[in-house]
Amino acid sequence: MSGAAASGASTSGAAASGASTSGAAASGASTSGAPRTRIAGGRIYDPANGVADQVGDLLIADGRIIADAPPASGETRIDAAGMVVMAGGIDLHSHIAGGKVNLARLLMSEDRAAFPEPEGAFCGCGGGRAAPTTHQTGCLYAQMGYTAVFEPAVVGANARHAHLEMADIPNLDTGGFLVLGNDDFLLRLIAEGEGQQAVNDYVAWMLKATQCCAVKIVNPGGISAFKFNARALDLDEAGPFYGLAPRRILATLQRAVTELGVPHPIHLHGCNLGVPGNVSTTLATIGATEGFPLHLTHVQFHAYGTEGDRRFSSGAAEIAAAVNANPHVSVDVGQVIFGQTVTASADLMAQYRNHRLAHPNKWIGMDIECDAACGVVPFQYRDQSFVNALQWAIGLELFLLIEDPWRVYLTTDHPNGGPFTSYPHLIRLLMDKDFRDHHLGRIHKAARAHTRLLEIRREYTLEEIAVVTRAAPARTLGLKDRGHLGPGARADVVLYRDAADREAMFAAPHLVLKDGVEVVRDGAVTALRGGRTYAVHAPCDPMMDKRLEHWFDAAIGLKAKHFRIADGEIRGGAGPTLVELSP
Amino acid sequence: MSAGAASGQSDGAARRTVQRDVLCPFCGLGCDDLEVEVQGRAVRALRACAEAARLLARADEPPPPCRVEGRPVPFEAAVAAAAGHLSASRAIAFAGLGADMEGLGGLYDLAMAAGASLDHAASGGLFANLDRLARKGWIAATLAEVANRCDLMVVLGPDPTAAFPRFFERALPAPSAVASDAAAPMFVDRTRRRRVAVLGGTLSAAGRRALAPHDVAEIALDGATLPAAASALALALKGGTLGQAGLPGEIAAALSELAGLLAQSRYAVFTWDAARLAPADAALVAEAAAEAVAAASRTTRAAVFPLGGRDNVVGAHQLALWRFGWPLRTQVGPGGARHAPDLYATRAALADADLLLHASALRPDAPPAFARGPVIALGHAQTVFPREPDVFIPVGTPGVDHAGHVFRMDQVVCLPLAGLRPAALASLAEAARAIRAALGGTP
Repeated sequence: MSGAAASGASTSGAAASGASTSGAAASGASTSGAPRTRIAGGRIYDPANGVADQVGDLLIADGRIIADAPPASGETRIDAAGMVVMAGGIDLHSHIAGGKVNLARLLMSEDRAAFPEPEGAFCGCGGGRAAPTTHQTGCLYAQMGYTAVFEPAVVGANARHAHLEMADIPNLDTGGFLVLGNDDFLLRLIAEGEGQQAVNDYVAWMLKATQCCAVKIVNPGGISAFKFNARALDLDEAGPFYGLAPRRILATLQRAVTELGVPHPIHLHGCNLGVPGNVSTTLATIGATEGFPLHLTHVQFHAYGTEGDRRFSSGAAEIAAAVNANPHVSVDVGQVIFGQTVTASADLMAQYRNHRLAHPNKWIGMDIECDAACGVVPFQYRDQSFVNALQWAIGLELFLLIEDPWRVYLTTDHPNGGPFTSYPHLIRLLMDKDFRDHHLGRIHKAARAHTRLLEIRREYTLEEIAVVTRAAPARTLGLKDRGHLGPGARADVVLYRDAADREAMFAAPHLVLKDGVEVVRDGAVTALRGGRTYAVHAPCDPMMDKRLEHWFDAAIGLKAKHFRIADGEIRGGAGPTLVELSP
Repeated sequence: MSAGAASGQSDGAARRTVQRDVLCPFCGLGCDDLEVEVQGRAVRALRACAEAARLLARADEPPPPCRVEGRPVPFEAAVAAAAGHLSASRAIAFAGLGADMEGLGGLYDLAMAAGASLDHAASGGLFANLDRLARKGWIAATLAEVANRCDLMVVLGPDPTAAFPRFFERALPAPSAVASDAAAPMFVDRTRRRRVAVLGGTLSAAGRRALAPHDVAEIALDGATLPAAASALALALKGGTLGQAGLPGEIAAALSELAGLLAQSRYAVFTWDAARLAPADAALVAEAAAEAVAAASRTTRAAVFPLGGRDNVVGAHQLALWRFGWPLRTQVGPGGARHAPDLYATRAALADADLLLHASALRPDAPPAFARGPVIALGHAQTVFPREPDVFIPVGTPGVDHAGHVFRMDQVVCLPLAGLRPAALASLAEAARAIRAALGGTP
């Protein structure tokens, strides 16, 4: 038990600036004198470098992959013969930290009681599966071979809290996506016609102030509209007070992140989440991108038609066709997994609609600080529910009908579609048609009749799994030294024993190295290491400081200087790891 | 993170500085516009409420030494003595917990290593509210939402001004003269005064002054009637009739009128200070407020704004949730965590404990009475002990002696405290870490 807590919140504010830049040590040259580790003879899957199932060695020094060299004395040798070798997994959309996750923990006491952390040297006195504690989160992800996970909904007002939690997660690198698009300062800027440059300066200021690494929009304008008692807001509908349509908010922020050079495009949770018929909104949103790159998150929840007796049908084929036709659009799926979970979202407009379906029957909503909101609703997905069963099928259809794996990222929108611990099961559903058909045969009969899943023959290959769980998320986030195994990459490496049962294979890797050091062996945690936090710092006009000083004083009642998170507050003084801008 | 614009003035021997925009960690309202004068080790508030001024004040004197059994000892000796007591004990209660997030992190690590129950001195109100929040939930708002949207505030119970002197000023600021100005309140109708209805005790003179810009109605009730009146109000909003509630006629009439105003309001806010109500009443009031908001939300918007948060009890709660998956009143240690509020509330825990570790970095609170075993106090330097603890390690105050983080009462905003003067004492985090290292755990 002792020594279990990863780090604790150590004294912060110590170092004024601890920021380092990602990819700095990316030369890949063999570092003389540093102890080397050789992963020998594995079957390497490294799609970012065009490598698929090639037998070879990986050489590691100073926590990074280095160029291969002949064996030398003093090397640590790890025999990987017959093993499948991949880079550490990257989850770019998983709600793991911050206020709404803590509210989910509060509501999910049954989940906490049912899944305590195992006792022993690496117990953090935590637990939970749908809403796991920080320590449990790091351990469960590492046990599946994941080494980086991104919290996709950091509300600015709650960013400091989210960062304190992220610092307490062992064995994972993290980063947060800042929620914009319902914040009153931005809506006011756009409504008053201030121009793109002012928006860009504001977005840059906010990204740095909150130490986030991408921008997410949740229900553009809709969260704000709900505060004025609007119960729905469609893409081209003018919202209350500001008179802004979501399309305009989206376009303005898409342009801002592109012009600032933020690597990840706008990460969009669109309008009308969960509403039957929202497939038309989603298609219109794709049509509205004006060529700017766009990421549609948990697109499964936005792919519903209204056909059939029950007025609920799959829009997956139309969405997949649109994604296939628009190479600047990427998605993550938000696959539904049957069982108990909890939904946690900044979209209080949607969560207010959903709270009547809460299971168990309790829920929390919150309007937050002229910034955003949150809604937390426990939920049980049942395979004998027509709607839930069809949601499950729609997610799989999207995975299988979108052709380019580089534009699909594997997620359940943890915990909203299901806990991240279901990833090995999901991987098997994608890789094994017989297994998929077996599960299809167990769902609500009418839902079966409404899905094309049985006709779809595609099975993901190991290479495609390496794309959707590693290479593609790293690329879209601008993490040049992650998601691959070339020289210069961080030595987050996973060795899997090849097995026909892909669920078993991906649930318990033989070995997981984090920065070149073993943290998991045969599916069990063997060490705890601190992670790093990615952030994007883009330049902004100093005039924005003055404007925001006034705004925070007069409108919010909190000093801008106290809103802003100093580099030294990140991970107890370590500071953020900066992602390079891509202008 | 810096302590704000510090204007130095040479003034005699010790340099005098005035620090502006100082953050206050005490009541939970998180005011961050305080002004403080620092000279040598002396600290004096220039702009602060009376309570903050009292808690920030420091004399220009050196800190006290650590003590073991009343005798001054070096820090290391006190740490060793504390570790010795902890390893010799089997039922340890950690209490107080008035500290920044860093101090709490150190204490929770120590509790995991030694095996201990955790509770905060100000958790009574929090648990009364959790009786509703964790069981059924509610819709809440943060401070800036209240300030900018609330057009009707319902205060359930005594005037909050006594415990939160600037609550009304911050939650219900008067409109600025310029209609287009981006200043709170941005979203309320400027042609009407905001309404405030107080159910319960009468307002203090300070409360009335703070509410002067608004249209205030006081519905006088005795404390015993408050839960029934609050429940009746919720019932009325659900469409029930007030006549069945058994309330005196004039109160029923006032509540009926209030229910009508609530139905017409755009964003009503219900607020109460659970810590100042009897626990059973507090739970009923929280339940009624949450039900009233749920009922109102079918047609308009409304939210609760529960008052509380003294000495970072909200941070202690948040950290317990993200570390252990349970609120406070949880026992942690080898074997995991066990949440049992009835067993691990401080009073109950001390009935069975053989050691009390009391931590109070924010104010000089003495440990609760305890005679079943040793007392370790990791406390404020000015603490006066009715009974000398077995080990006393004086620690710095976050926001005075060193930096740190505390949560505001609304559970969302976490604030960065800065030190005002050079630290002369270990922080609670450092003390806890040293004791854990002495226990044999990882430092």
